[in-house]
Amino acid sequence: MKGGFLLRGLDRGGLIFLAIVLGVGILVPALNLLVPPGNPFHVPGYAVSLVGKYLCFALLALSIDLVWGYCGILSLGHGAFFALGGYAMGMYLMRQIGARGVYANPELPDFMVFLNWKELPWYWYGFDQFWFAAIMVIAVPGALAFLLGWFAFRSRVTGVYLSIITQAMTFALLLAFFRNDMGFGGNNGLTDFKDILGYPVQAAGTRATLFFASALALALGFLLCRAIIRSKLGKVLIAIRDAESRTRFLGYRVEHYKLFVFTLSACMAGVAGALYVPQVGIINPSEFSPAQSIEMVIWVAVGGRGTLIGPVIGAILVNFGKTYFTAAIPDFWLFALGGLFIAVTLFLPKGIVGAVTDWTKRYRKTPSRPDPVAPKPAE
Amino acid sequence: MVLRRLLYALALACALLAPVQPAIAQADTASLIQALGEAKNYTELEQAVDALAATGDSAAVPALEALSAGALYTKKLGGAVLIGVERGADLALTDPLTGESAGTEPAGGYERIRVNNRLRRALRGAIGALTLLSPKPDVRQAAAEAVYKNRDAGALEILEEALAKESVASVRVAMIEAKAAIQLAGEADDATKLAALEIIEKRGGRESLALLGQVSANASPAVAEAAQAAVKKIQAELQWWAILQNITYGISLGSVLLLAAIGLAITFGVMGVINMAHGEMVMIGAYTTFMVQEVIRTSFPALFDVSILIALPLAFLVAGAVGVAIERGIIRFLYGRPLETLLATWGLSLILQQAVRTIFGPTNREVGNPSWMSGAFDIGQISLTYGRLWIVVFGLIVFAALMLMLRRTPLGLQMRAVTQNRRMAASMGIRTPWVDAMTFGLGSGVAGLAGVALSQIDNVSPNLGQGYIIDSFMIVIFGGVGNLWGTLVGAFTLGVVNKFLEPYAGAVLGKIFVLVFIILFIQVRPRGLFALKGRAVEQ
Amino acid sequence: MAGNTGAKFLTGLLVGASMLAGVAVGEARAQDTIKVGILHSLSGTMAISETTLKDVMLMLIEEQNKKGGLLGKKLEAVVVDPASDWPLFAEKARELISVHKVAATFGCWTSVSRKSVLPVFEELNSILFYPVQYEGEESSRNVFYTGAAPNQQAIPAVDYLAKEEGVQRWVLAGTDYVYPRTTNKILETYLKDKGVAAADIMINYTPFGHSDWQSIVAEIKKFGSAGKKTAVVSTINGDANVPFYKELANQGIKAEDIPVVAFSVGEEELAGIDTAPLVGHLAAWNYFMSNETAVNKEFIKQWQTFIKNPKRVTNDPMEAHYIGFNMWVKAVEKAGTIAPDAVIDSLVGVAVPNLTGGMSAMMPNHHITKPVLIGEVQADGQFDTVWSTPGLVVGDEWSDFLPDSKDLISDWRKPMSCGNFNVKTGKCGGKS
Repeated sequence: MKGGFLLRGLDRGGLIFLAIVLGVGILVPALNLLVPPGNPFHVPGYAVSLVGKYLCFALLALSIDLVWGYCGILSLGHGAFFALGGYAMGMYLMRQIGARGVYANPELPDFMVFLNWKELPWYWYGFDQFWFAAIMVIAVPGALAFLLGWFAFRSRVTGVYLSIITQAMTFALLLAFFRNDMGFGGNNGLTDFKDILGYPVQAAGTRATLFFASALALALGFLLCRAIIRSKLGKVLIAIRDAESRTRFLGYRVEHYKLFVFTLSACMAGVAGALYVPQVGIINPSEFSPAQSIEMVIWVAVGGRGTLIGPVIGAILVNFGKTYFTAAIPDFWLFALGGLFIAVTLFLPKGIVGAVTDWTKRYRKTPSRPDPVAPKPAE
Repeated sequence: MVLRRLLYALALACALLAPVQPAIAQADTASLIQALGEAKNYTELEQAVDALAATGDSAAVPALEALSAGALYTKKLGGAVLIGVERGADLALTDPLTGESAGTEPAGGYERIRVNNRLRRALRGAIGALTLLSPKPDVRQAAAEAVYKNRDAGALEILEEALAKESVASVRVAMIEAKAAIQLAGEADDATKLAALEIIEKRGGRESLALLGQVSANASPAVAEAAQAAVKKIQAELQWWAILQNITYGISLGSVLLLAAIGLAITFGVMGVINMAHGEMVMIGAYTTFMVQEVIRTSFPALFDVSILIALPLAFLVAGAVGVAIERGIIRFLYGRPLETLLATWGLSLILQQAVRTIFGPTNREVGNPSWMSGAFDIGQISLTYGRLWIVVFGLIVFAALMLMLRRTPLGLQMRAVTQNRRMAASMGIRTPWVDAMTFGLGSGVAGLAGVALSQIDNVSPNLGQGYIIDSFMIVIFGGVGNLWGTLVGAFTLGVVNKFLEPYAGAVLGKIFVLVFIILFIQVRPRGLFALKGRAVEQ
Repeated sequence: MAGNTGAKFLTGLLVGASMLAGVAVGEARAQDTIKVGILHSLSGTMAISETTLKDVMLMLIEEQNKKGGLLGKKLEAVVVDPASDWPLFAEKARELISVHKVAATFGCWTSVSRKSVLPVFEELNSILFYPVQYEGEESSRNVFYTGAAPNQQAIPAVDYLAKEEGVQRWVLAGTDYVYPRTTNKILETYLKDKGVAAADIMINYTPFGHSDWQSIVAEIKKFGSAGKKTAVVSTINGDANVPFYKELANQGIKAEDIPVVAFSVGEEELAGIDTAPLVGHLAAWNYFMSNETAVNKEFIKQWQTFIKNPKRVTNDPMEAHYIGFNMWVKAVEKAGTIAPDAVIDSLVGVAVPNLTGGMSAMMPNHHITKPVLIGEVQADGQFDTVWSTPGLVVGDEWSDFLPDSKDLISDWRKPMSCGNFNVKTGKCGGKS
């Protein structure tokens, strides 16, 4: 039944997208593992971890698009959900190190040992079990989003006020996680992981598996979002985005819909963070910084909000640009990145996907039909 | 002219005082000054300083002052000790005893006599003791304070002598306190100590506390007990001052926040542009100040004290011009799409930061404090710094000027009209694009003014703006978008709250509490402290 | 969403992916140069400190090429910008090693950036030179620590204050991150071992970039008025220092009354402040620009010519890169190859001149020997050396003043080859 819900309303574009994501998910690790280095078809390990990271960012961008593109909630705090998911996974990985830390302490992570912690804080209990960590990856960001959303949507905090309080939330968490007294490793965060589920994190096989898991998560996230926006629920969400008061007057409990989609989106961001951490090898408070969250929103805007493929493309494109320019023009890459953001907002208000859609429509001279998901100013 | 006359009077006074000292002392002083140059290490140098102080000869003061300031040199050949002032690669030399010029010579031939903190302390005491008999009351006052701080028993004799001659009441009090301090810290019978204790207790304040803390460690039980009681009394008094101090610090922090936020209250609050480049406008203002000071340093050093005043209008114009350019170039295409202005201005802020980094380099730039903005003064037990005080005043002036401009000028009227109802305003013949550009320019210009003020207390670096942008948004949101009064109240409230939390929760937790407080507050009043009412709200 | 348009973007996505592969494949250029990676932030919050180190590396590489390069090949600098973004450091390190095939990397400033790249250097077996004073508690086969460990900076500074200034009461003020936390833990134990009462130690942490110091400076003043000589040991980082010192100066805290000794404030940081009111405050480093040695004067001249600014200052981490780079050059010449394993082995025992006039040597624990200098701030923004250790001090990676690290030692020479050997249990930790 659930599968039916997810697959309902898949059209050709969606199918092609899924095929490509899963294809990349299988092909890249396969070419990395099976083809010997030196062969032109060999994918180096460097590219695997890089694209793996992009896939996590793509899933994160998708989660932002779900609330911003389809429900008009601009969250400037999604980095917090991403980071919380990452921390949950990081805590599991830290516990897996066990006695192999430099101080050979079986219980405590290294950073607690040299800061003279005597025992494990209570909130670290349970993270030695993968299942527990996996639940926390979803539950912690979800709970925080639920709490914030429950207060904010009930009080009808909207528009830019909501954006700023989500920013305040991530900023407060940033400061909190920076504190060494919190027991999350302070500024250094969690790092130097050894194994995941018994397999060494740095092994090529583990990397390939994580890569595939990220691709799979992105595909599932895409299916879920697609199913939601094609359902009746999705129609209500779009109605809220376009005219919130009117939807309320029609008898819909706007705050419930918003709360649901906001929480779901936070859970997705948490999953993205959890997959990101073992591939990058570090989670630290800088992920909470408001600038990161703003950048995430920009990925969505560049790709095109209110489309599901757009954020994926935007996340990959912007991050690829960052990777490329920081090495090619290290002294001037911020000009390129900043210029890109300005150019996109000025010349491609609907993002890359929106622009291409408009362009092909004009080119084909098909009679224009009302686009069900055209983005409009939210508020 | 007046100054010159004063100098003559001073010289005359010195000449009158000089015969009091025996002629032998002069020769002695000269050889002791010479000994300063011969000291092999800090310990020997300290002994030489003590020996100079023991002569009681005020002629040694210039040499000691120069030593303390690191301007006393020995000639590598012959070892003559001279006061030197650097003139490029040369030294302008004067004789420390006679004050006569000894010509200008290459610095390479001289070695500076180095001092460390311990020596500076010894010097402070020595200079204090030697200037207790100075004809100028303020010098005597400073000398008494220095003796009080150092509590050097050797100064007691000269202090008594000075006390006997002293006629100015305030200086007298300082000398009595200094004497009491020496008696308390040194060897004296219990009765003397108890009497001294009373004087110190009356003086109060932190420094007395330090002295009393020292006393109770090595004194007879009776004195120790009395000292403990005095400590308790002073501490209780200081508690009240601490509260007052938190309020003043809060107001000071509030004024910084106000300055940082007020430009944003216009671009974001009034115009609705989510201006992430606001911090960079502040940064531009700070760099303008730096440029102004650079020019003044190289070309018109005499004007340094007014450099800030020159920088103010320039910073306003430069930041304002950049603001107008941004509005014309980018923002005007984005009206009605507020959330997208966020993205464009974010990109812009990256570019501006990198541009400044490319032009001025990534390191901090030095912006000096003019003399009227440095230092501190005491009100009771609170020390207020002039810099901070001027920033509070400046913040309020900017706020008042802005209110006047919005309420009382035609441009202000047009601005309010355009932001309230653009189409109606246009129909009434207002050139809305021009008003938009001016409004954005005004907000940016005010941010530039804030930059001038912040350059006095913070780093002037490409990251300057980043540190204030989030706080600024919080304040505008907290106060209520579109209401300048809200920004004013918001800034001062958050400043004071922050400063009250800080001593108990620490700086980090204090800030977290403030953020959580804002989040919760917005739930109660979703549109801030002073919400705009009426149709304009539900656009 | 029309399906066919969707397909177009997906093609784009594939193109993007293939471009990536292109970046990765573009490595197969002729190996006529030896590449040296420079991994310092050129943007973001750390650019303020790290950009200088990038420039000094470029200068050193240029000088080496003037001398004929290395092993008959020219050196080529590969500069990337990790943008003060810690995960990006790991990504860029991977890129430097696997795409650009650098022979060694010079980089990082903050502890977190080093922690972030450490697994990458170990996995891909490459060499990192880390030039900044740090908290210790780490020793990796692939990392060479040319900055000071706590025993090369913090402990001598405290000794100096206690002995020369008679300090009995201590304020340990720092930014809340791992370096200050660890240093203060070490100092706290050290001071308590020396008989300082707990009531005479005040520890205070502030966030990064803290700019409003009024309350804390007032607090320090209050703490300093208990009748005992008080000093502040500051591990305040980067940007927060300027407002801190400005507030100190404004509130009239003079070095004669409450001296502040800093471990993160050098010539470069002071260049942004009017130092006249700060004269006498202290810093502990292993190098000061004011050293009067010929080799230092030559280095300063070279630097100011290279950067085309006769006023630019030099500082301790720059010297660390100078030492580290020369050590690497010497070790490569000794090994006759740039192969990481050979160079790592030949680096231990290499000695090169430092800028204070001695010879610094790479020890088996991958830390170097350095002189410890205490300097007082002068009105011209320079430090005047008021005290120095009689000889060189060996960097101690595992502090003797932390209960769990005092039994650990590190020796990367064969046959031990262990970064955290426990002398009590006789086991090498961290190995499964």
